[in-house]
Amino acid sequence: MDNKKILIVDDDPDIRQGMHVRLQANHYDTFFAADAFSGVAEARKHRPDLIILDLGLPAGDGFTVMERLHKVPFLAVIPVIVVSARNGLGNQKRAFDAGARAFLQKPVADAEFLAVIRQALGEPARIGNYTPHDQGPI
Amino acid sequence: MKERPLQVLLVEDNAGDVRLLREMFSKERADTFVLTHLVRMSDAETHLAKGGVDIVLLDMGLPDGHGLDTVRRAHAVAPGTPMIVLTGLDDEALAAEAMKAGAQDYLIKGQIENRALPRALRHAIERFRLQTETDLIRTNQLQFKDEFLSHVSHELRSPLSAIHQFVTILLDGLAGELNPEQRQYLEIVLRNVKQLKAMINDLFEVSGVQSGKLTIDLQCSSVADAIVYSVNTLQGAATAKGIALSSEIDSSLPSVCADPTRLRQILVILIDNAIKFTPANGTAKVRARVSEDDPNFLLLEVSDSGCGISPEMTERIFERLFQASDPALAGRKGLGLGLYICKELVTRQGGQIWAKSMMGLGTVFSVTLPVFSLAKLLAPALKNESDRERPITLIVTEIGSQTGWLADQVRAEQGRGIRDMLRGCLHSDLDVLLPRTGSAGGVELVFIVAMTDRIGGEAISKRIGEQWEVYRHILEAGLTLSTTYRVLEAVQRKPGQPVEDMLEKVADKIHDLMNEESLTRQLING
Repeated sequence: MDNKKILIVDDDPDIRQGMHVRLQANHYDTFFAADAFSGVAEARKHRPDLIILDLGLPAGDGFTVMERLHKVPFLAVIPVIVVSARNGLGNQKRAFDAGARAFLQKPVADAEFLAVIRQALGEPARIGNYTPHDQGPI
Repeated sequence: MKERPLQVLLVEDNAGDVRLLREMFSKERADTFVLTHLVRMSDAETHLAKGGVDIVLLDMGLPDGHGLDTVRRAHAVAPGTPMIVLTGLDDEALAAEAMKAGAQDYLIKGQIENRALPRALRHAIERFRLQTETDLIRTNQLQFKDEFLSHVSHELRSPLSAIHQFVTILLDGLAGELNPEQRQYLEIVLRNVKQLKAMINDLFEVSGVQSGKLTIDLQCSSVADAIVYSVNTLQGAATAKGIALSSEIDSSLPSVCADPTRLRQILVILIDNAIKFTPANGTAKVRARVSEDDPNFLLLEVSDSGCGISPEMTERIFERLFQASDPALAGRKGLGLGLYICKELVTRQGGQIWAKSMMGLGTVFSVTLPVFSLAKLLAPALKNESDRERPITLIVTEIGSQTGWLADQVRAEQGRGIRDMLRGCLHSDLDVLLPRTGSAGGVELVFIVAMTDRIGGEAISKRIGEQWEVYRHILEAGLTLSTTYRVLEAVQRKPGQPVEDMLEKVADKIHDLMNEESLTRQLING
């Protein structure tokens, strides 16, 4: 079976790399975008199974990305998980209203991160070959 | 530099007093004061609203206004205008109250010396100006500090997140095997990352606390769920320190009217503290029961067998930035914000928090929170006769757990059947609420069950709002139905259909959703 594809939209290269290592170890293929504009462009190009989206981005923000994704039928159906350093509450609500499946605040416990991704992809709770050391919550 | 004359508004109905004051002003140079005299409070309000008045001399007994009321009214129209009240000899206590209500100073009639009046006016104006400036600076500083704290807490999270990611990548062996020593060191890094994250959250919270922006979303919340969550969260930390952490929850515990997230936060802070201040082999325990003093409140207790707090400190620990001063206990614990935030969270939700302690024996933190009562919430809405004529919508939300308020209502009403249960919820006779017309223009009862997840909360709330005016009362009471919905089900009574039929359908829905046979049996058989 082919690996599922995940697009990571985050302007912080360290965060992108960290997510990449973590996701690759869990048999996901990763693609990247560092700003709102290329976030949508990369989504068009790769048609990922899931998008991990930061809120604070250059050339727009996470909300603009979701807005633009929603205008394209084949992009609108891709589940989006918001992972942001912003404070919850208002942003969380806004993210859900914009169509996000989940809102996670950085730093995210690995177990939660993977569980939310699996849930959004409709996968069984555990398919990885290891149990993350950090079960959270943090 | 020549100053412009001061515009003085005198509001006084006693002709003798007016004459005296006019005489005093007449002794001043003509270009220093311009005196306007009015007799009625209503005229004074109109005049003040136009602006241009530098200071008000206000009598507290006017034909159309009396006592503090006059001060409040004047202050309401012209909060930016300083005010001196004129009182009689026996009214100094009242004058003091007037100063609290916004007056800068008071003058006792009959004791005003000629030369003192202009000076009093100038002083009052100057004092007012200084005070206004200080207030403004303070507001600006607070706002700046809040923005700064909020910004900092946000900016700190990103690098912390990257550290966290790579530490756990190493710990999980995703970059190769580690030897035990490397593993141990990385564990230390991870522990400190978590500590930092907690501090950053505290920083953000405290900025919200001080600017009054602390959000609290009151709902029907399960204390049992919150306790289970918090104990699970901190079980690891307790075990690592050799502390037995346990909970004792009364089985028939009612739900509380609280923000579930904030409730968990309160418990996490208190349990975390208990663990910090308890030595190895100690115990920490969470208990919850209905308050013996007032059945409208739930009492939560977090007790530990720790070092205890000296009696004079049991109040001070809730102060901002308070830290244990005993160096043996202090170590590295945080910012001293936890209990301060905790107290704010509890009091904003209508509860109280206090600590009792015995040095060397341990501490008990007690928190009270109001019990959730739908009946109390809806009562104002049902008092209105006209509402009874309207179609009625019954909203039932099941929030976040399988054991929300509905189960509580069932337990409370056990043995009385569904109809009685609903009647209990609505605090009014169901037969009155549901006149047996059955025809068009009759009664509609909509049963909405909303559960867990997060989709479209706002849209559903809006729809509920459109359907029933009671929602307005719910909002006014400071309660949101739920911010999280997944399932929306409606059961509507068709014209001519007996109420009982419909209620059975409601019970079926509850059955489907709660998937708990025993509960349904209780509902149907009572």
